[in-house]
Amino acid sequence: MSKVGIKSYSYCLNHAPETGSHYGGTPWEAIHSGKEQEYLDALPKHLQSYDHALHYAPNQTYIGGISYEEFEAIPAPWVDKPLPDEKAKRYGKFGELMPEDEFLGLISACDEFELVWLEKSFAESVSKKLAEDPVITEAIVKRVVRPKNMQEFADIEKEVAERGALPLYHDNKVVGCIRMGHPTDHCLTAHVLMENLAGKASGVLALLHLLKNSGLNPLDLDFVIECSEEGAGDVGQRAGGNFAKAIAEVAGCTNASGCDVRGFCAGPVNAMINAAAQVASGARKNIAVVAGGSIPKLYMNSRDHVKKNLLALEDCVGSFAVLIVPDDGTMPVMRLDVLGKHTVGAGGAPQAVTSALTFEPLQAAGLTFSDVDRFAPELQNHEITEPAGAGNVPLANIKMIAALAVMKKAIEKADMMNFIKQHGTIGYAHTQGHIPAGVPFIGPACELIKEGKIKRAMIIGKGSLFLARLTNLADGASFLIEAPSPIEQTASVSKDDIKAMILEALSEIAGKLA
Amino acid sequence: MGKLAGKKLLLLGERDGVPGPAMEACLKDSGAEIIFSATECFV
Repeated sequence: MSKVGIKSYSYCLNHAPETGSHYGGTPWEAIHSGKEQEYLDALPKHLQSYDHALHYAPNQTYIGGISYEEFEAIPAPWVDKPLPDEKAKRYGKFGELMPEDEFLGLISACDEFELVWLEKSFAESVSKKLAEDPVITEAIVKRVVRPKNMQEFADIEKEVAERGALPLYHDNKVVGCIRMGHPTDHCLTAHVLMENLAGKASGVLALLHLLKNSGLNPLDLDFVIECSEEGAGDVGQRAGGNFAKAIAEVAGCTNASGCDVRGFCAGPVNAMINAAAQVASGARKNIAVVAGGSIPKLYMNSRDHVKKNLLALEDCVGSFAVLIVPDDGTMPVMRLDVLGKHTVGAGGAPQAVTSALTFEPLQAAGLTFSDVDRFAPELQNHEITEPAGAGNVPLANIKMIAALAVMKKAIEKADMMNFIKQHGTIGYAHTQGHIPAGVPFIGPACELIKEGKIKRAMIIGKGSLFLARLTNLADGASFLIEAPSPIEQTASVSKDDIKAMILEALSEIAGKLA
Repeated sequence: MGKLAGKKLLLLGERDGVPGPAMEACLKDSGAEIIFSATECFV
């Protein structure tokens, strides 16, 4: 059986309410349609402060400020149950929740083409703050204050007014801008570059935390696979890539290379399978699977949040990273013989999709539904999705898994609700597309396995391929994480053994000839 | 043929619920005309 070790993981959030309320997909569309002034006027009153975001239980669960079990014990709604100060820190076990001004500084540090201009005093101020972050390197801090990335306010205003740059905001003031990458190329507009640089910067932060959490020297990282949903390219190849190598460069991983894997929200699970296969085969000695987050997804459902007078909670750019290494029998493992695959011919019926992603791979490995302690399918925070009419996605998925378990006679119908409670997971991730796609639970699952509380967890991602208008199909993929087991010792053969075998064979032949 | 016979249908599916093509398959023999079917993702 092929297995790889999951050595470490990181999960980060970048608070970005001002960037989101200008450049999130929904506000951006409203600004440009000119038809939703009422919503646009109201949105700023519904934004969540950084301090509130820190005290919000789903955010702390994501960055590891509280454990998944602690989170599970807090019934929703969470928005009116702020965590106590001692559990609402910037840094958690897995990563951090970075404030927006520092995020703008990090975006600037990730710019190689003088695309980001920050106002001088703002740049100097955030570089000092970033220097206090335990994972931000001195080299990154210095990049924030490169002369070519710092400009006077008047120059920034002029670039916005005359040359298609987009302003960056902090405390309701313009503190910088993102410039166009080309005068006519629609793939290099300031808006596209903002998305891509924010994706890159958030991915860098996750990789830096992964290096810290794993203790891996950046120079020892072999390969990076990036799996977000952004497309970096120019008019000739609009999603040519490559985020992975760009992220590795800023993180100081000079001996690594990398490539991107895409598949909408199924990208991360497919990237994990890709990485695991390469490490298990010996092609790479280790791989970091990394994803930055999405500016367009910020405030995606905020029309409904505003309409219902709720806080607009979609204010964080999410990111994660996982380090895959050879299995040494000491760390949680990812099995390569239990992989769910939603085939072209499987169809789109929920029952068929669920069967392809759970029942079929488990059955092939001689396992059943109750052998999996936790299923982690699509972990969107339902406090965000329910007011927008998108329901409780993780609950809908585990209900379908439970129903299938009943159909397959793996559990009794009367036990369905217990199964849902015991084997499901509650969503706590931001609606950042690929970010909630099962992968947030890799960290908590490994922690629970290390603590001996569970033996197996299944990570499930589903991708909305139909959004690209190439096919009506969706996609899905899944894998199993398990407790480590002792490495099977392969008997080695010495030179003397070989000599003895050859002599034995020769004497046999000699005997036959005689 | 049921009560949908002769009707025109707009089908809006959801990835984590029931997608458009699955609804189309269920309604294929209903006698209704499917004039629009799509699947969307709200998360």
